[in-house]
Amino acid sequence: MAEILKKENIEFPYLEKPLSVYTFKNGHKAILAYKDSPMINISSWVKTGSINENSENNGVSHFVEHLLFKGTTKHKAGVFDRTMEQKGGIINAATWKDYTFYYINIPKEHYKLALEMHADMMVDALFPKDEIGCAFNPDGVAPKDKRERYVVIEEIKMGEDNNWRRVYKNINSIMYQSHPYKREVIGTKQIIANISQEEIMRYYKTFYTPENITTIVVGDFVEEDVVKLIQENFIFKDNSNIEKCKSDKQIPELKIQNPTTVVDYAEVNTGYLMMGALCDSAKNLKETIALDLLSTILGDGKSSRLYSNLVEKQKEPYYYQLESCHYQFRDGDNFFIEANFDLDKKDIVIDELKKELDNLSTIKEDELKKAKKRALVNFATDSEMVCDIADSIGYWVTVAGDITQAHNYLKTLDEIDCEYLQNIAKKYLKSSMVSTSLLLAKGEN
Amino acid sequence: MKHYNKEGINILLKKAPMTPRTSVCLFFKTNKKEKYYGINSLLARLLLQGTKKYTALQLADEFENECIDISIKSKQDYIKASLVFMKEDFNKAMELSKDLLLNSTFDDFEKEVYKLKGEIISDLDNPKMKLTDSFVKNLFKEHPYSSTHTKILEDLDKISKEDIISAHKELLNSQKAIVIAGDFDDDNKIIDYFCTNFSFMKSIDTNCEIEDIFKNDIKKDELVWISKNDASQAQVIQGWIVDSFKSEMCAKYSLLNNILGSSGLSSRLFVNLRDKQGLAYNVRSQYETLLHSAIFNMYIGTTPKNIQKSLDGFKDELEKLALLPPDEVELKGAKENISGRMKYFTQNNSQIASVQGYNFMMGLGLDYNERFLEDIFNTKAKDISLMAQNLLEAPKLIVVVAPEEYKFEL
Repeated sequence: MAEILKKENIEFPYLEKPLSVYTFKNGHKAILAYKDSPMINISSWVKTGSINENSENNGVSHFVEHLLFKGTTKHKAGVFDRTMEQKGGIINAATWKDYTFYYINIPKEHYKLALEMHADMMVDALFPKDEIGCAFNPDGVAPKDKRERYVVIEEIKMGEDNNWRRVYKNINSIMYQSHPYKREVIGTKQIIANISQEEIMRYYKTFYTPENITTIVVGDFVEEDVVKLIQENFIFKDNSNIEKCKSDKQIPELKIQNPTTVVDYAEVNTGYLMMGALCDSAKNLKETIALDLLSTILGDGKSSRLYSNLVEKQKEPYYYQLESCHYQFRDGDNFFIEANFDLDKKDIVIDELKKELDNLSTIKEDELKKAKKRALVNFATDSEMVCDIADSIGYWVTVAGDITQAHNYLKTLDEIDCEYLQNIAKKYLKSSMVSTSLLLAKGEN
Repeated sequence: MKHYNKEGINILLKKAPMTPRTSVCLFFKTNKKEKYYGINSLLARLLLQGTKKYTALQLADEFENECIDISIKSKQDYIKASLVFMKEDFNKAMELSKDLLLNSTFDDFEKEVYKLKGEIISDLDNPKMKLTDSFVKNLFKEHPYSSTHTKILEDLDKISKEDIISAHKELLNSQKAIVIAGDFDDDNKIIDYFCTNFSFMKSIDTNCEIEDIFKNDIKKDELVWISKNDASQAQVIQGWIVDSFKSEMCAKYSLLNNILGSSGLSSRLFVNLRDKQGLAYNVRSQYETLLHSAIFNMYIGTTPKNIQKSLDGFKDELEKLALLPPDEVELKGAKENISGRMKYFTQNNSQIASVQGYNFMMGLGLDYNERFLEDIFNTKAKDISLMAQNLLEAPKLIVVVAPEEYKFEL
């Protein structure tokens, strides 16, 4: 049974009670949040994703996510899914660049069983060979025995047919020189078809360690019971003697070295564009908040600059979707403009969007006021459901690196003025600093 | 949720203390077939495009400066304006929504037609959108429920501004309800507020001109093939028109759907087609209920050479259920799963207002969720087999989007 090293109470926006943050002696963390709800959310956030991969194992983080559902010593493949869903649970998992997380939303009367089975899955995954399936050549004849390798390959194919995923894949690959963020989280067909069970297990043992995992429980429960269940069920194996997986160097890249444009073609009737910039890490709270605010001002909603200037003020608008977004990462954020447009207007679109980026060097007071209110309301929105509260906590712990940053966000938000925003826009978002990815119809230039 | 009817206005209230955001839904029932497909969609969009007081841009500013989220959607059986806002912004949100519902000018008509056309063309770049568009269109043929992207695209240029003005008048002369979920002090104050300021929300009974349709209008299985030569995956859907929520079959189809392909990672389609055969990442079934009809379908995204295998898999799973009812454990699990999902999808004020408003507008009553669950828990295993058998015996519609080289005939 894991011993408690320390317990802290930490304020979190819009929650009735402070979070209870437990750190166990083995490094495992548990964060409990009270919310009056018929549902309880249980999740574990692992600080690993494509950031810890290399060119030989790209996609392994995501593959492990699939395979964690394939059985433990106590429960064969399928038992966890069936048991949880037959108790009214909704279960799943997700992998991104900095993290992988596994969750259960379940009616509160079943949370004890859910927590036991969730812990079992996290600490004792077996990765059975017959569930992974045999290795094969993805360009050759498909094997008869198609198991989870093939499911992931179908997921890769699904992405190939998704226009936005193609545009994102391309821009992501040209923004970075060598950081592992450059690679797609889902990996390649070749690697997924061939990676060995031993390599998968080695990755799991390297990164699914207690100090790398935060377990979050949100809902209406007795705190002592939950803590005891976590202590009794998260029994981590000692993997300190294994040969660890090698990761590529993680040298943050905060600026695109050679801004460029990449063009791809598909059977489409409209054009797709992403224009992207690199920025400082999500751990830099003030800059991250500034980028949130700039994204709201530039491209969030019908009153945003992009929509009002380029859609509403046009007699015959040629944008069908137009927005900006800010992705937060541990080793440096991304800022994007996304546009779906009339193919005939490609060159005008690129010019217009670059001008809008440069115009961020001037920010008006009323724009700042609106963006600040949106930032506040986003916290209120994220406090409505147990799953959103858990996701928000998970983000602050794994990406921003510190749960106290959520509370500091509101204080820091107050300190930001127009001049600061303008400086951040000039620092990261000048048109000369961005790369562009286009998806056009076959036959277009 | 409590229902009040004062001065002819239906007001549904759900008090949710300690919730920072309030949700208000304004429901308008659509009882007539549109003159042209897309009129209601266009009306819903134009209601946000300017009033006598505000231009479209000013209106967007007024809402977004206070973070009042508003959307107006046209669905098969109703138009719904949904607002979510911080509780202190109640008056502002209501003033703005009243203004746009009563004083919209529709001056942006031509621009909105142009925008809608472009957005539809863009949506149809997505192969899955193409698939569902064709499926619904071919399933409902000339019925008003066949109003899909491609049908709207065909009719869009026939619609005039006068058609929109006329549809707006119809909207104001329809059955209506106001639904509020949030942290407010006093039911009476809210009711008085709406009686004083929202008298136009008085509900008016109108005759329904839309026909019920509870089975497929085809004699034998039909296949619609849409070629997309650069697709990595084939998009495959097959389905039937079936009974809806007012039928005793509803709970039975809901359970069949849950067991077959909507419970999550343990559904039969998921386990047998995805986990055991590796045919897909995405495979599921769906039972969508509407006022005058319902659709039961099964969907898979798969490597094109596996189309037939996937269709065989759909058939196998239905046959297995038709021959052998689910055992008690599986059936009880499906019932619990549906119950848990209903709790999950009614957590916040926005979900509660939307679900309860819908139940009320469809004439199901505010206790519908409880009665539905009672029906679910009373359903027997052999009922599931009967539903599977119904589907096996009825002619089905299959739609496939895939490269031409994989084309086949039934």
